[in-house]
Amino acid sequence: MRAIIFSWEYPPRVVGQLSGYVSTLSTQLAYNKVDVNVVTYDDSATGRTQEPSGVKAFRVANPVRNHIGVLTWVLTLNQEVERVAADIYYESKKQVDLIDVHDWHFVPAAVTLKNGLGIPFVYSVESLEDHRSPNANASYNMAIKSIEWLGFFEATAVCVKSNWMKEEVIRIYNVPKEKITVISTDPILFPKEALELYSRVAEAKKNET
Amino acid sequence: MKHKLSVMMLSWEYPPRVIGGISPHIYFLSKFLAKQDVKVYVVTCDFPGAPAHEVIDGVEVYRIDSYKNPSPDFATWVYLMNMNMQRETAILTRKLADKIDVFHAHDWLVANAGIGLKHVFRKPLLVTMHSTEMGRRDGLHTMTEKMIHETEAWLTYEAWKVICCSNYMISHVKYAFGLPSDKLVMVPNGVNIQNCEGNEDLSLFRSKFALPEEKIVLFVGRLVYEKGIHVLINAVPKVLSKVNAKFIIVGSGYMKEQLLNIVRSMGLEHKVLFEGFMDEPTLLKLQRVADVSVVPSLFEPFGIVALEAMAARSPVVASDTGGLSEIIEHDVTGVKVYPNNPDSLAWGISKVLLDQNYAKYVRDNAYRRVQEKYDWEKIAQQTKHIYEGVLGEYSKSFWANSLKP
Repeated sequence: MRAIIFSWEYPPRVVGQLSGYVSTLSTQLAYNKVDVNVVTYDDSATGRTQEPSGVKAFRVANPVRNHIGVLTWVLTLNQEVERVAADIYYESKKQVDLIDVHDWHFVPAAVTLKNGLGIPFVYSVESLEDHRSPNANASYNMAIKSIEWLGFFEATAVCVKSNWMKEEVIRIYNVPKEKITVISTDPILFPKEALELYSRVAEAKKNET
Repeated sequence: MKHKLSVMMLSWEYPPRVIGGISPHIYFLSKFLAKQDVKVYVVTCDFPGAPAHEVIDGVEVYRIDSYKNPSPDFATWVYLMNMNMQRETAILTRKLADKIDVFHAHDWLVANAGIGLKHVFRKPLLVTMHSTEMGRRDGLHTMTEKMIHETEAWLTYEAWKVICCSNYMISHVKYAFGLPSDKLVMVPNGVNIQNCEGNEDLSLFRSKFALPEEKIVLFVGRLVYEKGIHVLINAVPKVLSKVNAKFIIVGSGYMKEQLLNIVRSMGLEHKVLFEGFMDEPTLLKLQRVADVSVVPSLFEPFGIVALEAMAARSPVVASDTGGLSEIIEHDVTGVKVYPNNPDSLAWGISKVLLDQNYAKYVRDNAYRRVQEKYDWEKIAQQTKHIYEGVLGEYSKSFWANSLKP
């Protein structure tokens, strides 16, 4: 199986807990014979590297340096993420089973790659804008929510880390509950559960074509 | 090539959505490319009442939902719109299987979509730079302006070829983004002469705007700094001291209130009419009855409005800058005046209004020049050659190889 993971943080870049989570997940997946490609942002260490575990990390920088907000920053960065993911796709003779996108930042890239190349994606939720900025209804926050909505709408499966989050995703975005998988937070268990989810998504894609 | 040469044209405006010059440009370019046996798909922003898909003159037009996402400001709206444009274009391109040969993006407004689609489908991207942020703002002052400038630089970097519509723009774009010369191609903008023909009596139409003894001075353009409309307003009393005239201002923009105040304070409200945005048939008639058309721009990548006036047989007075310098040959196809100089502009306007024979001479020359040089059929031909050239180079690239099954 070949998977591409999108995350805006991955070691050495640590913003919150997502960085460590993606690192553990990708390492464990690699040990389970998955060809793991992490596409992430890094301002200076751009290019591709291979970790001892076999995980390949692709770090992209923003092609536009001056920005007026997180939104414009994220939206221009998405094209670089897309470029690298498309390169992985063509270099592997179009054999990419799925993309796992963590949080909203790279949802636009995942959506284009799904619609353009037919690569299904899992939307893994670490946090939601509604919780990060409670009661915020400025157009800035609403725009982020609209990207989250797009992710839920287009994703083949949604991956959350607690039953509470599952309920929240249903409450806020009306996502059908069959689409959501709750996986464990246990560092030993969750990569295996994620792999099971990946296999289901890849299998569903195969049956569809 | 097994199929017809196919182009996916990306533009933020296409009729009936008309904001600036890109909209008519895409309309005519696509239409005449279709006549050259090129299959053109235009993906553009939606407009109230316009269908999501239609075929116009052999061109497939798709209008995307461009206001799906709330946005805090214009620039952020552009990037969000690009996200939706990319998504919908990706769906369409996939449906057409391997049939799209090139993506052709127009200005930074569709930069992200163009760049993303190029990489996802591994097809060459061409860009037409109609303008630059540096030129529009006369430098880069704010974060937004710098961001847009960098987006433009990024777009020209990703493009296989960068098309500009005047030699002036070629040198400007080369300087602004540090591009190599062999990446730049000049293809002029065109004008549709057929639109401007007509023999009906327009005296009744004229009387709606001016008294018979008043000459008509026409300005068409957005009321923004770069168009130099304030220079014209400052030239009004200088012209009126020599000849009785009515100044008709067509277009709108952020400077409107400010300009109205200046006109009021000069006590010339009865001589200067602000007509706002005008529908095309009315505008064409107005251009035909105008005694002089004025283009006082401070920055003008091309100057289509001068060409349109020339096609409508209205004598043109334009500032000697940018693309206008190339369109107008002084004392032959029009009058060139110093940019940002009301005295010089007033001199040029008065010269045309006071000398009937001179006005007729430049008007006739200008009309011939338009027929010879700015014909959409020739422009579409040139553009098709550029597509073919790029595809020839592309066919030898590893990208073309990587798409083979």
